[in-house]
Amino acid sequence: MRLFPVLLVAHGRVARRMGLGPRSRLDMLRNLLTALVRHERIETTWARADELRFYAEKIIEYGKRGDTNEKAMKIADFWLTEKDLIHKLFKVLVPRFSLNSGSYTNMYHIPNRENLDRAKMAVIEYKGNPFPPLPVQKKDNDKTLINQLLLGYRLENGLQRSPTSA
Amino acid sequence: MSAVSAAFGTNMAVCRRSMLLIRYRTGFLMPARFLSDGEPAKFQPPVKPVFKDELVPAQLQRRFLSPEFIPNRCRKDPLYFKIERNDMVKRRKIFDIPEFYVGSILAVTMSDPHANGKLHRFVGICIQRSGRGLGATFVLRNVIEGQGVEMRYDMYSPRMHDIQVLKLEKRLDNNLMYLRDALPEYSTVDVNMKPVMLLDYEVPVNSIQVQMKPRPWSKRWEQHRFNIKGINFEKYLLEKHIKRAKKSAKPWEEFDMLKEYDTTKIEQELLQELDRKLDKSKNQEIGKKTAGPNV
Repeated sequence: MRLFPVLLVAHGRVARRMGLGPRSRLDMLRNLLTALVRHERIETTWARADELRFYAEKIIEYGKRGDTNEKAMKIADFWLTEKDLIHKLFKVLVPRFSLNSGSYTNMYHIPNRENLDRAKMAVIEYKGNPFPPLPVQKKDNDKTLINQLLLGYRLENGLQRSPTSA
Repeated sequence: MSAVSAAFGTNMAVCRRSMLLIRYRTGFLMPARFLSDGEPAKFQPPVKPVFKDELVPAQLQRRFLSPEFIPNRCRKDPLYFKIERNDMVKRRKIFDIPEFYVGSILAVTMSDPHANGKLHRFVGICIQRSGRGLGATFVLRNVIEGQGVEMRYDMYSPRMHDIQVLKLEKRLDNNLMYLRDALPEYSTVDVNMKPVMLLDYEVPVNSIQVQMKPRPWSKRWEQHRFNIKGINFEKYLLEKHIKRAKKSAKPWEEFDMLKEYDTTKIEQELLQELDRKLDKSKNQEIGKKTAGPNV
């Protein structure tokens, strides 16, 4: 049965079933997270990126406990399969997000995969990475009914349109 | 009686029904003892107040939150738990549920209509605490005349009369159901045991490893999901059993952050809330300032 993700969560199924089982799922996410910490911006399928996002944020939260914390070190050791990245996590990423609380990643929807299976694809990145920002297309909402009605209302009452409104 | 019949001007035979009739007709309220046609109600002593050691400062007193207050990880409306907590606090105001752990030795007195004197006392070692909210239970185990006996008690049951902690201690495990498969001396408690004073601030952990009966056991305690430290498995298992147990282990689960349920924040909030609610009632009852009770 295919359910909408929100409904799945409502039914107590928080995680997607991926790979060959729970072990395989975690191994796959480990490799993805290692790649994300290494390159700070990666491209995968949308579902994997969505799964990865939680772990990518949680590992920063654990990193904030400091590298002397036993549990934080254990978690970092498990999730980063390339061990030189443990140093990067504690010395580069954690100081970068020391002022933020939560929301350390961005995720963007990109065009579907062309060559293989037309899978829904996404880009996930840590904020504050050295790459140039991704060009985000703003949705053109001007022709929707509500915006048209609002426009008419504004014109009728001689109101100025504020620059921030969609 | 004569006053009643005189007031009515009749010579009615006084029975329970007629008394009720009189009451309804005239709005006359009789004393309570008129209405009870059995023996007078037994004298019930008032609830004993809990006295705290005033010499120990409040911040040094052990804080303990009974595990049934912590809700399970679920998407249920938190209001439900709040309402349930209010009921639990109401019960705790009149009935003292002490601090105890799995492995402590308790004596529980319960009203039992079939018992002699209508009260039944059972002494045993607590081998399990389960249930959340008002449905919280615990299991006591003892060996009586060579027969293992287990009693499951509802903590908030109105039949509960008294819970006395005879010996406060913890064990290595949070569930001692494996005592069913251990030698009987490990679950035998003297019925006439005297309460043992706890001198330390910390609750002592009894790191005893029990001797088991020969296999097969009621459950495969060596399996990873039970995570038992109170049995030295090397004595009882063959190599194939150890291999099979290893196969069922899921060592990656502890690293799955999605499955974590961190309750420290909830516990602190609950402790504050319960302090507020229970302290108020205690102050009203005793009219004296006491430190926060253990809940």
